[in-house]
Amino acid sequence: MDLSFILVQLLSGLTMATLLFLVASGLTLIFGVGNVFNFAHGSFYMLGAYLAYQAATVWHTDFWTATVAAALGAGVLGMLAESLFLRRIYGRAEEAGFQILLTYSFILVIDDMVKIIWGTEYKSLLRPAGLRGSVQILGETTPTYNLAIIGIGLAVVVVAWLVLTRTRAGKVARASALDREMLSAMGVNVPLTMTLVFGIATALGGFAGALAAPLRSVTPGAGIEVIIDSLIVVVIGGMGNFWGAWLGALILGEVTAFAVILVPEWAVVVSYVVMVLTLIFKPEGLFSHSPLRKV
Amino acid sequence: MVKHKSVAVILMVVLAMALAPICALAQEKVVKIGALYPMTGRAGIYGLDSVDAAEMAVEEINGKGGVAGYKLELINTDSKAKPDYSVMVAKRYIDQDKVHFLFGVVSSAVGLALTEVSKQNKKIFIGTDHASTQLTVDKFQPYYFRVSNNTFQSMAAGALYLKEMMQTKPWQTMAYIGPDYAYGHDQWNELKYNLDRFGIKYKVVGEYWPKLFAPEYTPFITSILKDKPDVLICGLWGGDSVAFIKQATPYGLFEKTLFCSPDAGGNYEVMSTTGAELPLGLVLSARHHNNWPETPANKDYVAKFFKKTGRYPTYAAEGAYTGILAIAQAVEKVGNPNDTEALVKALEGMKISLPEDPEGFTSYIDPETHQIVQVQAIGVTVANDQFPPAKRMLGNWKIYKAEDLLPPKEYIEPRRKK
Repeated sequence: MDLSFILVQLLSGLTMATLLFLVASGLTLIFGVGNVFNFAHGSFYMLGAYLAYQAATVWHTDFWTATVAAALGAGVLGMLAESLFLRRIYGRAEEAGFQILLTYSFILVIDDMVKIIWGTEYKSLLRPAGLRGSVQILGETTPTYNLAIIGIGLAVVVVAWLVLTRTRAGKVARASALDREMLSAMGVNVPLTMTLVFGIATALGGFAGALAAPLRSVTPGAGIEVIIDSLIVVVIGGMGNFWGAWLGALILGEVTAFAVILVPEWAVVVSYVVMVLTLIFKPEGLFSHSPLRKV
Repeated sequence: MVKHKSVAVILMVVLAMALAPICALAQEKVVKIGALYPMTGRAGIYGLDSVDAAEMAVEEINGKGGVAGYKLELINTDSKAKPDYSVMVAKRYIDQDKVHFLFGVVSSAVGLALTEVSKQNKKIFIGTDHASTQLTVDKFQPYYFRVSNNTFQSMAAGALYLKEMMQTKPWQTMAYIGPDYAYGHDQWNELKYNLDRFGIKYKVVGEYWPKLFAPEYTPFITSILKDKPDVLICGLWGGDSVAFIKQATPYGLFEKTLFCSPDAGGNYEVMSTTGAELPLGLVLSARHHNNWPETPANKDYVAKFFKKTGRYPTYAAEGAYTGILAIAQAVEKVGNPNDTEALVKALEGMKISLPEDPEGFTSYIDPETHQIVQVQAIGVTVANDQFPPAKRMLGNWKIYKAEDLLPPKEYIEPRRKK
């Protein structure tokens, strides 16, 4: 293994990690702030891919407009789902069980909705103009679009950090994770906060789906494919922890990338092994003290 | 008077209603076919195409008055591509719906589960899509028949293609990527078996096993580039093929290695999804092609499917279409759908003329394995926009004789004994 190859493999692991992170970040955000495990988060990812397809291919917008439309669309639908359904089960004794049933039913409903609107045929998106080629790094090829995805992922991390630590909205979100009653007593509209956070999280999912669409096949059921890996990421990083999701995605992406070379027969298993090891030695996840929960 | 009249009318209506089902029973003799195709998830398009094509065949046959005085009736339940669930539905089909045939199935995992139900209940199971060779070799049972090619046949054709290529474009090294379940592993073993059988020398430089429906292949692609294989054999199918090709194209993988996917890589949805993005010169095949053979029968079949559905068919459609034709032909010969043993005899060795048969060849069912025997054509991707939204179709065909692709006795016997 020479240096240039290691770099290329690192970059391909990083591409995988970034897309994983973008999906997992929304999942962990909802869990951290609202204590909701949204099984259907992958379905918002899938919706994002379809909405981007609709905008770019049917309405002929450019790719970036389509991506923004996808994020907005997924966000609005997420807020509707939260305010019409999830809100009704908060605080009930059986909340955990209801959450699973309710968000699981979202998966089925969204899958069928997608099938009715767009059919079962696979859809596809072109990579955006200007990012269809590749560059040579140390004599090895890397597609420019993959590099763009990595950059966008980093930007999301920075923006999220600024919002969560420097703005009042971020502080409210972190506080609502800690003590909703106190927050409500201080005059913050907690239900609205929850709806907004849910919307931001599903918008992130939709955004990830739109970004991934030019690289993957857009099909009904695509949500299920990403939710398991995202869950692994969230478990490794610490449930509800935003930075943990980033670290977890990095670990999973790179471990997979190098497992493919070193133990190709077991490449798929390795990510589960990492999760199991985390659960044994640090069951609360690598980032045990959540910056979301730390006021 | 008026009163009496209305009573009479009511009586007549009641009588008519009471008698109607009896009349219907007396007139309508039905061949019931219980299908299990996935209608959701990534395999949904294969299921949808299969059901549409099977219905097309049913309509054609019933339109001509049915067979032996019977009408065909197709019922489908979403298999969800899940073996345990499909077994439950199949048992319901047999016990409650009293179907005469089990039918369909996209996933080999579901196929392997259903062939057990078929065996126990002595109910004929017509396999139309799933390709694992195990069903007609290792797990063979007398009530199972398959009417589309299995992976052994595709891989034998692929091996012959690679053998011929040695003359024009010598190659030495080979890598494989395929889904990590029976279908993926079978293809790789069968390709190597056939290359060995044909006396080809080669070196394996890499093997990759992503899980089925994996969304991301980038790390596999960069690793394959490092292996620098002369030939990359691909056992992915459907959306997985599409995702792999889309992710590998900007890496320039297809300029550096010959990409060869002889079982499912040339299925129409790969072409229709990727459009002009699909690189030229990929070596692909499938179990039916919309533009080969250029016979009136094939053109007619593709046109009819397009007219019915507004889209061009994937190969799954032709398998389902064939299944209905085979059932009709068997019932015609036996005279009823109830004599299972006679139907098995009728299906064994049956000759059946299909859209995918080239001039001068008729598909037939091998009585030994109950596997249909068909010609296979392998092509390379060329520009062609006659089947939109595809911008590429296969061309420069190489044709492989049906008999050359069958597993030899030495392959079948030890596996059956296990």
